[in-house]
Amino acid sequence: MNNTMLILSREYTTRVKKKSFIILTLVVPILFAALMVVPVLLATKGREHVNVMVVDDNEIYINNFIENDKTSFSYRSGDIEQIKKEALAGDYDVVLYFPRSSQKVNANMYYYEEPSMYLRSELESQINSMFFDHVLQDSFNIDLEKYKTIKDLARSQITMIQIDENGGEKESMAEMNKSIGMICGFVIYFFIFLFSGQVLRGVLEEKNNRIVEVLISSVKPIELLLGKIIGIALVGLTQFLIWIVFTVVILIGVQIAMPEKFMDMSGVDTEMVMQDLNNSQLASTAGNIDTDTIFSEISNYFPISFSELILCFLFFFLTGYLVYSALFAAVGSAADNETDTNQLTMPITMPLLLTIVLVMPIADNPNGKLAFWLSIIPLTSPVAMLTRLPSGVPLWELLLSMVLMLLFFVFVVWFAAKVYRTGILMYGKKVSWKEIWKWVRYE
Amino acid sequence: MNIIEIQNVTKKYSTQVALDDISLQIKKGVVYGLLGPNGAGKTTLIRILNQITAPDSGAVFFNGHPLVRKDIEKIGYLPEERGLYKKMKVGEQAMYLAQLKGLSKKEALERLKHWFIKFEIQNWWNKKVEELSKGMQQKLQFIITVVHQPDFLILDEPFSGLDPINTNLIRQELLELKRQGTTIIISTHNMASVEEICDEICLINKAHKILDGNLVEIKQRFKQHIYSMDLHSPQAISFFPANFTVLEQKADENIQHYLVKVMDGGSANSLLQFVMEHGEVLAFNEVLPSMNDIFIQQVEHYNQEHQS
Repeated sequence: MNNTMLILSREYTTRVKKKSFIILTLVVPILFAALMVVPVLLATKGREHVNVMVVDDNEIYINNFIENDKTSFSYRSGDIEQIKKEALAGDYDVVLYFPRSSQKVNANMYYYEEPSMYLRSELESQINSMFFDHVLQDSFNIDLEKYKTIKDLARSQITMIQIDENGGEKESMAEMNKSIGMICGFVIYFFIFLFSGQVLRGVLEEKNNRIVEVLISSVKPIELLLGKIIGIALVGLTQFLIWIVFTVVILIGVQIAMPEKFMDMSGVDTEMVMQDLNNSQLASTAGNIDTDTIFSEISNYFPISFSELILCFLFFFLTGYLVYSALFAAVGSAADNETDTNQLTMPITMPLLLTIVLVMPIADNPNGKLAFWLSIIPLTSPVAMLTRLPSGVPLWELLLSMVLMLLFFVFVVWFAAKVYRTGILMYGKKVSWKEIWKWVRYE
Repeated sequence: MNIIEIQNVTKKYSTQVALDDISLQIKKGVVYGLLGPNGAGKTTLIRILNQITAPDSGAVFFNGHPLVRKDIEKIGYLPEERGLYKKMKVGEQAMYLAQLKGLSKKEALERLKHWFIKFEIQNWWNKKVEELSKGMQQKLQFIITVVHQPDFLILDEPFSGLDPINTNLIRQELLELKRQGTTIIISTHNMASVEEICDEICLINKAHKILDGNLVEIKQRFKQHIYSMDLHSPQAISFFPANFTVLEQKADENIQHYLVKVMDGGSANSLLQFVMEHGEVLAFNEVLPSMNDIFIQQVEHYNQEHQS
């Protein structure tokens, strides 16, 4: 045990002291924070006040655009070429021009500096609704107020309500669950490969620089194997922790430094999120919900809590990593160099690759046969189960998957220890899985 | 008292037998040469002593008790294929490997300091291993092998790749360790070094022990009754009796050199008496077979016998 600790601490400290580790650990939170901050900043920038000059040859929209504190409109008619020059040289940011045409909703927008994309969608939606009113009133002679009442009455809404085992009902947000599930699936896939790959290379390094025989004359192969695997797992967890802490610190820092921008933007964020989530259902209320309530709403809709999700993530990350790193260690010990490992890792990585390819179908139908079986079978379950989890998984399925994972883990460590013991002392031989199986059965 | 006693050890791999019913004893405080052609089973035997592999049958005793895990702390092992972590610093690495052998941090540091000062390599402590030359790395490996003051040292080809100066340095250290009571087993193909430092040897061929014992005794056992003589005489002896066969003869001014094999019925004394009549004997000594000759002869003999 003492030896395993020594090995573990060497594996840990040499990796944590590496430049590549330090750089990656520092850069990722900055990137991550930037990913969250930059769109907000860009959107804020797009919300600067815009002067729009409208030229409408069809004379439908004159004086009909609705102004707000970010957009003001002026109207002129005449030669577009001349107006364009004068307006843009003057106080106007953009010129919106409707040429004479039967397609009365099409316009050109002229500008020197590209306006925010929100302006474009805002104008488009105004044009559409104005044209609609115009057509209804002028061509069909329908009273607008009556029409709006009818339209509100006829708006269909399907609310998704999931019933759990206890008969409790929860409004579900299928789209949201799907995206969170897919993100979880990808993240766990990425981390399993990232860190178990390090185990593979570590084993190969020791074999290639021939220190391994010195080591196993002092310690048991199993101690060496466990020390390495656990050491690297701790490196991974350290990196996680630093990432989370740093990202939070950076985000809080940015919010303190520029509070007005984020206050200002919370409404917009909400609007965007809500549109992504569930267009028809919630759009009407979007304007007056702020970010905090959105998150509490999300956890209300969520079949499992965030803390449960994170615990499951950690469980499947750790067991998934342990299983894959033990298998990779076995492969690393059997091969002489990294090229040789490729054909040996193929059968191991195939299930994981397959699951990642199938993440979309799993997320689309999280309780289907495919999703069920993939989330039960140990090699595929970390990714598949994490993809399913946000949509809700019956407790017995989750527990079955976890128990199988643990049993499989015990089997894999036994297997890997046997292969490793023989493999690390075997040089210059191209090994096949058939050969490896012989080592396992060999006492 | 034997530090190592191997009793009827057999080890099979899936396709071949590596050791077949090997028994041998190693006395405390001797330098023991483990000899044999490539693939004879030496490395397997060494790995069994290091508990890297276990024998299929048979037993190994260390200091009188069956070999156990704990004994690893009393054994030092320098493998033939030896390496170090290239990116790690010399000092850190030496500390790590010393601690793996059961030394406390404090002990490890003290003993390593002693060795680094002895070999005058203190300034390497903070260098990375990849910055050292191959010879320097081998010095470091030697230190790592002996730092925990093992009672029993196992060295697999300790001199391969060393320059003459370092070879001599390591040999001196080995003899010093022997004086302090360390038992040393050396596996090597370098017969010259065997003759220089080994007290006892064991020759393994094709998984079988074909010869073992005291080096001097073995040489006596395989002696061919060949004598070399220097005789002061103006001319060569024209005729030798039938029980003396001249193997070599050359003249150097007035000194005649002979290499003569005494056949059955003859003796060293009768040869000496015979040549005394032909001049003044300046030198007369028996030529014992070299370890190299014995090795080749025994292995070939064994292979011929077991071909059929």
